[in-house]
Amino acid sequence: MGRYILNRLVVSLITAWVLVTIVFFLVRLLPGDPFTSEKITPEIKQNMMRYYGFDKPLHIQYIRYISNLLKGDLGYSLRYQNRTVNEVIRQAFPYSADLGIRAVIFASIVGITLGIIAALNRNKSLDYISMFIAIVGISVPSFVIGPLLQYVFSIKLKLLPVAQWKGFAYTIMPTFALSLGSIALMARLMRASMLDVVNQDYIKTAKSKGLSPTQIVWKHQIRNAILPVVTVLGPVTATLLTGTFVVEQIFAIPGLGKFYIIGIQNLDYSMVLGMTVFYGLFLIAANFIVDIIYGIIDPRIRIAGK
Amino acid sequence: MLRKSVSFALVLLLVLGMVAGCGQTGQQQQTKEKELVFAIGSEVPSLDPQKATDTYAIMVGNAIFEGLVRVHDGKVEKGMAKDWKVSDDQKTWTFYLREDAKWSDGKPVTAYDFEYAFKRLLDPKTASEYAYQGYYIVNGEKFNKGEITDPSQVGVKALDDKTLEIKLENPVKYFESLMNFISFMPVRKDIVEQYGQEFAADADKMVYNGPFILKEWKHEQELILEKNPNYWNKDAIKLDRVRILVVTETNTAYQMYENGELDFVGIPPDFVEQLKAEGKAEFYYDGAEFYLQFNVKRPGKPWLANENFRKAVGFAIDREDYIKATMSGVSDPATRYVLPLLAGLEKKFVEEYPYEFYPKKADPEKAKEYLNKAMQELGISDPSQIKFEMLTDDSSRAKMMAETIQDMLRKNLGIEMQIKQVPFKQRLELMNKADYDVVFAGWSPDYDDPMTYLDLWVTGGGHNNTGWSNKEYDELIKFAKTTSDYKARADKMFEAEKLLLEKGPIVPVYFRQRAWTKREYVTGLVRNFVGADPDFVYADVEGKN
Repeated sequence: MGRYILNRLVVSLITAWVLVTIVFFLVRLLPGDPFTSEKITPEIKQNMMRYYGFDKPLHIQYIRYISNLLKGDLGYSLRYQNRTVNEVIRQAFPYSADLGIRAVIFASIVGITLGIIAALNRNKSLDYISMFIAIVGISVPSFVIGPLLQYVFSIKLKLLPVAQWKGFAYTIMPTFALSLGSIALMARLMRASMLDVVNQDYIKTAKSKGLSPTQIVWKHQIRNAILPVVTVLGPVTATLLTGTFVVEQIFAIPGLGKFYIIGIQNLDYSMVLGMTVFYGLFLIAANFIVDIIYGIIDPRIRIAGK
Repeated sequence: MLRKSVSFALVLLLVLGMVAGCGQTGQQQQTKEKELVFAIGSEVPSLDPQKATDTYAIMVGNAIFEGLVRVHDGKVEKGMAKDWKVSDDQKTWTFYLREDAKWSDGKPVTAYDFEYAFKRLLDPKTASEYAYQGYYIVNGEKFNKGEITDPSQVGVKALDDKTLEIKLENPVKYFESLMNFISFMPVRKDIVEQYGQEFAADADKMVYNGPFILKEWKHEQELILEKNPNYWNKDAIKLDRVRILVVTETNTAYQMYENGELDFVGIPPDFVEQLKAEGKAEFYYDGAEFYLQFNVKRPGKPWLANENFRKAVGFAIDREDYIKATMSGVSDPATRYVLPLLAGLEKKFVEEYPYEFYPKKADPEKAKEYLNKAMQELGISDPSQIKFEMLTDDSSRAKMMAETIQDMLRKNLGIEMQIKQVPFKQRLELMNKADYDVVFAGWSPDYDDPMTYLDLWVTGGGHNNTGWSNKEYDELIKFAKTTSDYKARADKMFEAEKLLLEKGPIVPVYFRQRAWTKREYVTGLVRNFVGADPDFVYADVEGKN
């Protein structure tokens, strides 16, 4: 297991390096440059290029970037001129992570519950209701559900604040809006997985041993059926935690979601690269953790690992 | 089990409701302090006066800094300077700073702070995007372009602690109001050097000399301004606190306003009609003007270089319909080139020099007349031979706007215009390289004078990438930029404007307006088309509960 992890670590690092290198050059291929603006003149642009070292040959810029990166320095943002990308991530990520964790927990509880209810009541009305909720969750985009929630719960019912992130009441609507898609995904996955498990031999054995239906469902069916859901939990968590553009925009949450997009719009090279590095490492880490959780839930994997 | 989960859900809802309720009561805690709350569309990228360029920084900077003068509602007031004089040739300005001018840390504001700031703006090592604002100053341009390296040759000098002398290359009619621009706010050398690149990155990494101080800056979330007790004119300031929230979505901001969380707000396009009907919508020019810009040197497309063809396009556009169709009627048809609000000698320039070149509605007959003339000159018999592409941004609104013009040209001229949408920066890049046929472009004023629009089109101008060059126009602008006879200057600028409309490479389309609404208790808030917008420095919220 240790060797396997080490292997994966090396592969991950190489992947990260390739990623950074490709993005480093690709972002510079985009038409325009970071300082293109309506009012700038060529001489002033030259001053700015010199200031940020963009007047140097590309390979020197690359070496400088990589050596800074190895020190953990992502450089100054070109748009937020006096803030480093590290600083931006340090300030914005906690908000995205906070929202993301809430959404993951909420989505897991509701999604898995819905999936179980649907599977246990296969082809009955509860199944249809659960799956209807799931389909709605997948089909209604967050830029529709967000304003709808704001309209109903803030403007009409006056229960919750419209936007921003300043306390528990502020978190409810964005958490719901953000988790909707994942709820749907998990509910469908859980349902399918439950139905798959129910036909397995060990369930039949358990039944023939005379175990109570509740015991069978809890101890054997759910525990085995939940594995595929845990698998998607990794990428889902990574996506939700690193910030989502639309929900954060609608609810004015100062999270990380917008920076990639703003970075690309402004050709903020250091921001785009910094975000790439951060997302990349985060995704790798999330998958790692899922592997470990996998081992805990499924003894077969733990044993095989030893 | 289902019953269990249902009851769990109910308990959860109950708890959530309670907590939410608590949050609300917490919010309603009342203070007698006067607080103004509003939203801006994005984080302020930089509050370093010499590096700031965006409108939000200019708006906040107007409140937390103060230049030699303060411009309020278009009028120049005393600022850090209590008095000033100008030499007879209008080229040497002397400003006398007030004795009670203080920074927020208690130190006096000196003429040296201004000298340092102005030179910092022009220093190529600062890499200031707005350095060109300082090119009026003697040797400012040369120093910024690296042609001279000795900063003492730049025409700004503190004669003593409280006297600042500025020497200009040429007379500048709007120089006083220019001293209110963010690039000319004073900065303290010790603070700048202490924080280096991170100067002004956070609330505690700068000092303030304006009516307000920046108490807290929660990036991407909120800026909290508080009244500055050290400000010389603090008795004129009514607000104790200003909270500026960062809310990107205009619809969200509007919902927050509806919910009583904001004191004023911009109206999203979908709500304009409704609020207009209710009499709650107000409108103001934000200074931006939009026009079609022709590349007159485009190979293979000689019609773009033809004056009559450009006028045919100009008369074929129905500006009124265009504004109705694409902006819910919010904006003003550009029937001439100079923005209606720009200062003239005593009144507005357009009042002193009234003129209408293009009608508000389309004039298809006149358009056809010009088209026929153009086709004759070009030796073309069929308008369908005339082809060109309009470059515009990649938003859905830009697309709609382009299609509206496309439709008008098809209907009124029988010409098929293509549309090319690219991201904003790419559009600017293509414009710089003169790699376009026609581009839908815009310009916002740097200062309150028609020159801010007119000098764009001189030969060799940094932003004139149309290939258009007209000696007469160049002469008029050159005269206006160097004379100290301001009446003759205005006359020549008017001549230049008429010449530009008659022969120039642009067809004005509209002057942008914005719709906004505010609570009745908000008073003294000024919307500006140049400089700080909104200007809330003297605002009041008496009666807000």
